[in-house]
Amino acid sequence: MSATVTEASPETGAAPRARRAVIGRHAWQAIGPIVIFIAMLVVVAILTPAFIGGGGLAIIAASSAPILLLALGQSMVLNVGSIDLSNAAIALLGAILLALALGPLAAGAPIVILLVTTLFGAVNGLLVAYFQVPSFALTLGTLGIFQAASLVTSGRTTVYVSNNGQIVSTLYQSGIANVPITFWIAVVFAVLLWILMRYTRIGRGLTAIGKNESAAIFSAVRTRALKVLAFALSGFAAGIAGIVIIAQAGSASPTGLGSDLLLPAIAAALIGGTSISGGVVNPLTVIFGALTVALVPIASSAIGIPTQAQSLVYGVVIIAIVALTMSRNKSSIVK
Amino acid sequence: MAQRNQTLDRPVGIDTTAIRVREHSIERRARFRSASEPLGLLIALVILLIVFSLLNDRFLTVGNAQNILTQASIPLIVAVGATLVILLGSIDLSVEGVMGAAGMTWILLTANSRGGEGIGLWAWVIALGVALVLGLVNGLIFTALKVPSFIVTLGMWYVGLGFATILYGRDLFPRLTDPALTGWTSKLTLGLPNAFWVALLVIALGIAVVRYTRVGRVALAVGNSETIARSAGLPAFRVKVAVFAIAAVLSGLGGILATIQLDIGSPNVGSGLLFVVIPAVVIGGTNLGGGKGGILRTVLGVFLLTVLNNGLILSGVDTSWQSAVSGAILVTAIVFAAWSQRDRLGVAK
Repeated sequence: MSATVTEASPETGAAPRARRAVIGRHAWQAIGPIVIFIAMLVVVAILTPAFIGGGGLAIIAASSAPILLLALGQSMVLNVGSIDLSNAAIALLGAILLALALGPLAAGAPIVILLVTTLFGAVNGLLVAYFQVPSFALTLGTLGIFQAASLVTSGRTTVYVSNNGQIVSTLYQSGIANVPITFWIAVVFAVLLWILMRYTRIGRGLTAIGKNESAAIFSAVRTRALKVLAFALSGFAAGIAGIVIIAQAGSASPTGLGSDLLLPAIAAALIGGTSISGGVVNPLTVIFGALTVALVPIASSAIGIPTQAQSLVYGVVIIAIVALTMSRNKSSIVK
Repeated sequence: MAQRNQTLDRPVGIDTTAIRVREHSIERRARFRSASEPLGLLIALVILLIVFSLLNDRFLTVGNAQNILTQASIPLIVAVGATLVILLGSIDLSVEGVMGAAGMTWILLTANSRGGEGIGLWAWVIALGVALVLGLVNGLIFTALKVPSFIVTLGMWYVGLGFATILYGRDLFPRLTDPALTGWTSKLTLGLPNAFWVALLVIALGIAVVRYTRVGRVALAVGNSETIARSAGLPAFRVKVAVFAIAAVLSGLGGILATIQLDIGSPNVGSGLLFVVIPAVVIGGTNLGGGKGGILRTVLGVFLLTVLNNGLILSGVDTSWQSAVSGAILVTAIVFAAWSQRDRLGVAK
């Protein structure tokens, strides 16, 4: 193959090899997260066969749903080269507001919550895009504001859904293939995002910003509007995550389920092949990133790692997986 | 070029006045900005002090001043390390984990309620050694494997916490038994809390490192432009590892002091500190992209947040609101700082 190429065009002989290397790297980026998830699953299955037979996969999928939603939102923001540290706080605030609103508003409540959280995300985006402030610092600030808002609205206690709880709880209790609908909602959202990124002008524009923002501006990409969109998508995803939290737990509290999802969600986005410096994202592999993140604690207890060591294992696994799946080249600058 | 023009006695037909005027104004504005930014912070701090002392007459007392200094000490120590890392353009999220690991190591090697005489000074050496190792691993994975510092230190946060949890085991909380150590951090020497003396020493050393040592200068150069720093033959690799190691040792020191202050050993001894330290560094005006900023600015940032928290509590504001106030100040500070640099073609990450 390479011989014929060199015969045909000796002066461009290096090009196909380079292109093949690039394709190889892309292929690994695309399947790396899947391979790692399956490899870990196989190891767990060999060590504890009962885990897979006893519905272990369904447990992983169910517990990964909020992480996956937040990771998808985060990957949209990471893709434009920013970061959203406030999305988990938005999800929690959304869950608390939903618990409060389900009684009076019934079926309208989830829609209102989605609108509100999308608006929160959009405000983040507007500030980043129009004031040109670093998103890390800005969303760290809004994280504090959203946290305080959850504390104040919940009165520092657990807010239980008073009535109409079945509107959202059915999402968790009914399922397809034994896996709750909440997970499938997240998967559908991932597919929609994939279509957006792959086939639309908007998606290509978002990735263009992440690859080189100045170039995107000069190419008449509407960078500001698209940045706002990326953050709004993150807020929207956080809103769905809030709904999932209520569906799963039936209640929300500032310290309960969902209060520590920020870092696992970022880890899931990165394990799913999203570049932290922007310009590379694949929502479909983020699904496996989230599954991997959800698998680590479940798997480590399944194979008998003592509970005290779990956070250590978690840390090591995150570093190792990102080190394995990351794309790097010799001259690149890593911050 | 200019000389040749003189010999030819024929001036070039380009008028450079506009360029020179612009350069001049940029230079002047930069000088003004570098002086005005810390000044703005100082004014904000003074306004806070005045407002809080009007709201509560217990605020402006010697006792409360010493309180604030004690409260600021540990964030100050950790923030010096965080500033160094951010000057590189990287980030260190592992501080809470490293604090937990070092604090737990230290208390288990010191006389505590779980038994054992303690090994005195060696406990400090070993605990700081644990922190140093965590920092070196951070730096080496970051530089050698080219994993972004965000991920490495995020993982190391969990690793540090896990290490502390394993050490902690399933027993009761280890409690300090040496009466000379309990409450040492808030005891006064020459009118200032002991912990604050340690913080002062760390700040002085930190400033000296940034100003006068190769590590500090190279770190700034790397933060400004790693490509240029590397092509100038500067040891970017080694300096990055060194900076992460220094930051971890300072986090470890903070962890030990926090353990003394808490009186018991807990893996979560540093809980919540990261979200004080990074906002403090950013409010101080150190650029998250690296290369710009300094330790003295961070000191101002830490004091601003500490005074704010202390004053809010004394003014009877519900503690639920505190993170919102800190958050709002952070947002205002960065919007204010970025205002003059806005540009149609500007790029902010």
